[in-house]
Amino acid sequence: MSTESTERLIRQLSSDVARVPPNAVTRRIAIGIATGCVLAALYMGATIGVRPDLDAAIQGSSFWIKAAYTLSIAMVAMSTAVKLARPDASVPRGLWLLAVPALLLAGVGVVELASTPSGDWLAMWLGQSWRSCPWHVLTLSIPIFAGLLWSFRRLAPTHFRAAGAAAGLSAGGWAATIYCLHCPEVSAVFVLTWYTLGIALTASVGALMGSRLLRW
Amino acid sequence: MIGGLDGDAAAHAALLRALVPLLERFYRRRLAGSNEVDDLVQETLIAVHGRRATYDRGRPFTAWLYAIARYRMIDHLRRQRRHIPIEDVEAMLVTEGFEASANARIDVTRLLDTLPPKQSRAIRDTHIDGQSIAEAATRAGIGESDVKISVHRGLRALAARLKG
Repeated sequence: MSTESTERLIRQLSSDVARVPPNAVTRRIAIGIATGCVLAALYMGATIGVRPDLDAAIQGSSFWIKAAYTLSIAMVAMSTAVKLARPDASVPRGLWLLAVPALLLAGVGVVELASTPSGDWLAMWLGQSWRSCPWHVLTLSIPIFAGLLWSFRRLAPTHFRAAGAAAGLSAGGWAATIYCLHCPEVSAVFVLTWYTLGIALTASVGALMGSRLLRW
Repeated sequence: MIGGLDGDAAAHAALLRALVPLLERFYRRRLAGSNEVDDLVQETLIAVHGRRATYDRGRPFTAWLYAIARYRMIDHLRRQRRHIPIEDVEAMLVTEGFEASANARIDVTRLLDTLPPKQSRAIRDTHIDGQSIAEAATRAGIGESDVKISVHRGLRALAARLKG
């Protein structure tokens, strides 16, 4: 019997018992995301830069509609990630909340389309940058996802795919929010399609990598 | 647990010590005859210690503990399988199938023992040993309808017990 070695282990473990604040999980995930966001913002500043007319853009509503859409996705995803970081988590149910910002944005899109001649619809939908937008979001999400992986290393997820997807979704939401500082597009249908596509990509990548990277 | 979270080392050590028998029972019941129970218990203690931040003070502690224990066991089995040569897998599956059926048999026997002897005998003869109603009736020295009624009542009692 190794009760002796168990006892030794217990003594060793309880020799360093740091205080754990009640909201330690949330805090750790927030630190991971914040660090990733800083890195992503620095990377964007060093490569594609912020839009030159940012000062003027933050006066307008379309900038804030975009930011509100991506931020709300990030928030829902983060609260899901916090839940999934616990070993006794059940499969999350709050994800239908994601439909709320999407529907609101779709409403704005319908109003926009209605006030635009139908000949311009395609140009509005594709904008100037539909080809690059999802990829920028995906690239910017990498450091944020890495930050979240660091967070999860001391946490205890057991639904790896769901936790990976939630981490990817959070990373995508934050990456898209940062990308708002660069992206000059204004139409809601553009954001609804291409931003959403980029965020969905990061969530899928996260789900695929979750079962490999989140084991402990 | 709360004491440990607040940084009380003595409370934490007491908690870990109290968990050892619980975890031993948990693993021993699931990995019958395995000599890795001690390792698993220690691994789980390390996880409980290292990941104690993931315990939500407002939720039941045992649910959290057994979620960790279960994950450690699954992970342990997964790692173990990876190192088993392919030829051994077949033998292992056969043993596992035997063990499962042996366990099922023990369960059935235990359940039947809770019934009146006439009913349990009628069920055993007709449903497990595969005799016909007529054979069972002549061997037990009772009427055929008596056998049928005994089987019917016995099965109904078992069903009620399993549901209840």
